[in-house]
Amino acid sequence: MKVLMPQLGETVTDGTIVAWHKQIGDAVEKGEVLLDIETDKISTEIEAPVSGVLVSIDVTEGETVDVGTVLAELAEAVEDSVAVIDENVEVAEEIKSSAPSENALSDAPEAIARLSRGENLSPAVRRLVTEHNLKINDIDGSGRDGRVTRQNVLDHIAGLDSSAPPTQAKQDERTERIAFNRMRKVTAAHMVKSKATSPHVLQTIDADFSAIDRSRLSRKAQWKATTGYSLSYLPYIARAVCKAIADFPLVNSTVGDEELIVHSRINLAIAIDLNFDGLVAAVTRDANDLSVSELAERFNDLVMRARAKELQPDDLQGGTYTLSNPGPFGTLFTAPIINQPQVAILSMDAVKKRPHVIESDSGDAIAIRPVGILAHSFDHRAIDGAYSAAFLQRLQSIIQKADWDSEF
Amino acid sequence: MAELSYREAVAAGIAQEMRRDESVLFIGEDIAAAGGVFKTTEGLLDEFGPLRVRDTPISEQAILGAVAGAAMTGLRPIAEIMFSDFFAVCWDIVVNQIAKTRFMSGGQCSFPLVIKSGNGGGARFGAQHSQSIENWAMAVPGLKVVAPSNAADLKGLMAASIRDPDPVLFFEQKSLYGTKCEVPDGELLIPLGNAAVTREGTDVTIVALAAMVPRALKAAETLQSEHGISAEIVDLRTLVPLDTKAIFKSVSKTGRLVTVEENPRLCGWGAEISSLVSEELFWDLDGPILRVTTPHIPLPSADALEDAVLPSPARIVENVLKLVD
Amino acid sequence: MDVSVGPLMTAAHQAGALEKDLQCKLYQHMQACRVMEQRAYDLFMQNLIKGTSHLALGQEAIAAGFGVAMREDDYTFCTYRGHNHTLVRGVSMTAILGELMGRECGLLSGKGGSMHLMDVDKGAMGSYAIIGAHLPMAAGAAWSAQYRDSGQVAVCFFGDGTTNIGAFHEALNFAAIWDLPVIFVCENNLYMEYTPIGDVTAVEHPAADRASAYGLERVVIDGNDADVVYAVANKAIERARAGEGPSLIEAQTYRHGGHSRADPGKYRPEEEVAAWKRRDPIKMYRARMLENGIDESEIIAIEEAQLGRVDKATATAKSSGPPPLEIANTDVWADGSSTWRN
Repeated sequence: MKVLMPQLGETVTDGTIVAWHKQIGDAVEKGEVLLDIETDKISTEIEAPVSGVLVSIDVTEGETVDVGTVLAELAEAVEDSVAVIDENVEVAEEIKSSAPSENALSDAPEAIARLSRGENLSPAVRRLVTEHNLKINDIDGSGRDGRVTRQNVLDHIAGLDSSAPPTQAKQDERTERIAFNRMRKVTAAHMVKSKATSPHVLQTIDADFSAIDRSRLSRKAQWKATTGYSLSYLPYIARAVCKAIADFPLVNSTVGDEELIVHSRINLAIAIDLNFDGLVAAVTRDANDLSVSELAERFNDLVMRARAKELQPDDLQGGTYTLSNPGPFGTLFTAPIINQPQVAILSMDAVKKRPHVIESDSGDAIAIRPVGILAHSFDHRAIDGAYSAAFLQRLQSIIQKADWDSEF
Repeated sequence: MAELSYREAVAAGIAQEMRRDESVLFIGEDIAAAGGVFKTTEGLLDEFGPLRVRDTPISEQAILGAVAGAAMTGLRPIAEIMFSDFFAVCWDIVVNQIAKTRFMSGGQCSFPLVIKSGNGGGARFGAQHSQSIENWAMAVPGLKVVAPSNAADLKGLMAASIRDPDPVLFFEQKSLYGTKCEVPDGELLIPLGNAAVTREGTDVTIVALAAMVPRALKAAETLQSEHGISAEIVDLRTLVPLDTKAIFKSVSKTGRLVTVEENPRLCGWGAEISSLVSEELFWDLDGPILRVTTPHIPLPSADALEDAVLPSPARIVENVLKLVD
Repeated sequence: MDVSVGPLMTAAHQAGALEKDLQCKLYQHMQACRVMEQRAYDLFMQNLIKGTSHLALGQEAIAAGFGVAMREDDYTFCTYRGHNHTLVRGVSMTAILGELMGRECGLLSGKGGSMHLMDVDKGAMGSYAIIGAHLPMAAGAAWSAQYRDSGQVAVCFFGDGTTNIGAFHEALNFAAIWDLPVIFVCENNLYMEYTPIGDVTAVEHPAADRASAYGLERVVIDGNDADVVYAVANKAIERARAGEGPSLIEAQTYRHGGHSRADPGKYRPEEEVAAWKRRDPIKMYRARMLENGIDESEIIAIEEAQLGRVDKATATAKSSGPPPLEIANTDVWADGSSTWRN
């Protein structure tokens, strides 16, 4: 029975082998842990699906393989060994029947037919792949039946050498090279892919946070005392976004094959920074059902678990809209990158006291108000500027006029 | 430089050595007055006289026993066995007496002799006059085995064989007697145990011997011009001592090996080469080792049949194409 | 058939008493051979000699007669029954017994064994185990001597069975046509291994009756009479040295033991064995020496000296260990190595 790399997240396409707990030849019980794997931000264990003997290990520690790749094979009790014996008999008969006739004048190399991609890599290929720590699947094969030849491997190695960035003539002592960890690699790849996929448009609007401030500041002390954490703007904005999405559902969708798949539920993702060591977008499912206080609780739980690396696959999967709030740092606004396969993302930076023009019948006056800029990146394949602008206007209105006290 | 035929080179090599060393004598059937049935020893009787160049009766055991006794007692004799198939008649003297006596005596004597013989097929002589038996000789500890592919090599290797302190079986491939090439003037000496890379290449190593070398060269030309495959040809020149370094150097470069042997298939010399390479160069091989040989049959006499069974350039090409992706 | 008596048979008929020194020398050689072969037999029984061994007990007169007649630089070629022929060339008895026992001090360093005794420095050019193969080799050594004009001769010993193998005939013809200085000595002990030679040979005298086929004198002598053997040997060697070509001598004799250790020789009629044992060459010569007036004390001294010699040789050889294992890979080639590749 083959043990395969599972899919541990909706958008996860591969996983890394962290550690084997068993060796070839070990007997294992069903449910026993065979190996640890890691995908994006999750570490988890793979258990033996059946009892038997581990007869082969096909991936090594540190290796990253696609979902569905065979990791190992278990021989279940007696049936498997019988199968092996039969296989040998089959092979022996095959050899006998395929022996060239005695009178054949040509010299018949049976062995050549067996050298093809995937089976029977030649000794030279095996050695080079091992010596240079390569993955056979990375190498293009131009031999018969697509087999990887020795020359293919040599060319591949030469290609790797030449595509390496030119090294500095003299090592600069003041520079530091920080290798990308797995999360950085994943993030980098995702960002590039997102920008390449979605034509990003940035649209901004400002909002007066006085109403939210009244609600927030009056509760602040007690909230902190009860829960242990601060009540921030984030749950308010999240609530406002959910309400606005109700009127402008298209921002909560995914671009399909020449169609827009509009999601009925709002699974709101919030961007969580992990102490400058990476970024996760943690999802709250059915956020539209939750009040500000419930959202606050949920968000705090996510942040705590994110920072303790205890997020589960469900916490990372299925987001339909993302909210980013780098506010604490005082930035004006940010042009965020869409979290694929969503079509829009909102960034809310700092809320700051600003001079604000108040219009009244008796004339315009300047007052000091807490103002924040909402920056909306949207995918222009899915929606147009007017729609997004209308959404932002609705959002602004909710922020400024909702009955925030009823949320508690 | 002069152009010599392969057969002329035989006499030239023997003469060169007989001139410089009086202990070199030469006996055999029809080698003196007639200059050899293949005309390989013309002029030797005239130059060196009947004491040093002597015709014998048809007595292969006596001929070889005589050169053995003479070699043990201070001379450097050369004997001819007319057709190498005839070695079977006197094989006892070769393998039990000449090859073993030094060892059995604890090193008390040695046998600095050369037995030269017309080897191989292609002349339509039929099975008892056409076999390539260099593999028989290679299999016997105590014998050196030489098989040149061209006139220049022949002259130089003949000289080295005569100077060698050990018994040498010197195989002249009959089908090459008429071939010609430029041979340097003056003394020529090619030490035993040195293969020649006759053609450089990158995609496959073809190891060949004697008459198979020109066929391999023809095949290499076809492979290059019609298939863009670059073949390297290694002419072994001697089977014992064997230039394994040259073989390994070539195969580690190309990753592929084909041997071309005139001897019958089983236990042909290529089997030993194949074994050595697969044992010591396994991790450089990009495909299985192939052997192109005469099938395991006595050689037929009809020209169409003989040509079909001896390894041809076309068959060499066919096998390389199977091997190179 | 030519029944005229040639020079060798004349010499045989005319064989008379030799000088005392020569008689003693002959007797000493025969005695040495006898005690050494007997010791070899004993060592077999003690399992100190392994493999097989072919003893020439009873045939000593032939080896001794030729050994005394030969010059130091003449060549001997003999068969696997060649311990005596090697010993009489002055080869160390210790080295011979050591070789039989497979010791480091052995004549061939333990690499050849009983059937291949050889001492090139003493002219003992080898004992050979393939019937007939050494006959053309002896002819070759003679050819070498002739070419070099050295005056050396080659003496080649073989048994009656050899006369029916191809190499015998090739060698005789070859030697005859080139007038080579080689003496072919057939020790006819009446049995080709286990078979009476008459059953398998077309002529009565397996060697002598073939001589005319090669233009050679028909020579049949009593191989157990050391004086006759010496006389004929002397003559043949003299003729060869003078350039008068090869000889073929059939010396009739009898072996006391079987063909080899494995053979108790029970296929021979008891009366035949008894009769030949009465004609033991050593017994006969001892009696003759006494008849010729040689003091018995001198004879006893020779006997005791040889006994002492074989005892000493045995003790020395026994004290030598087995050959070092490394030598198994040496001396295939003249440079001492066995390398076939680089």
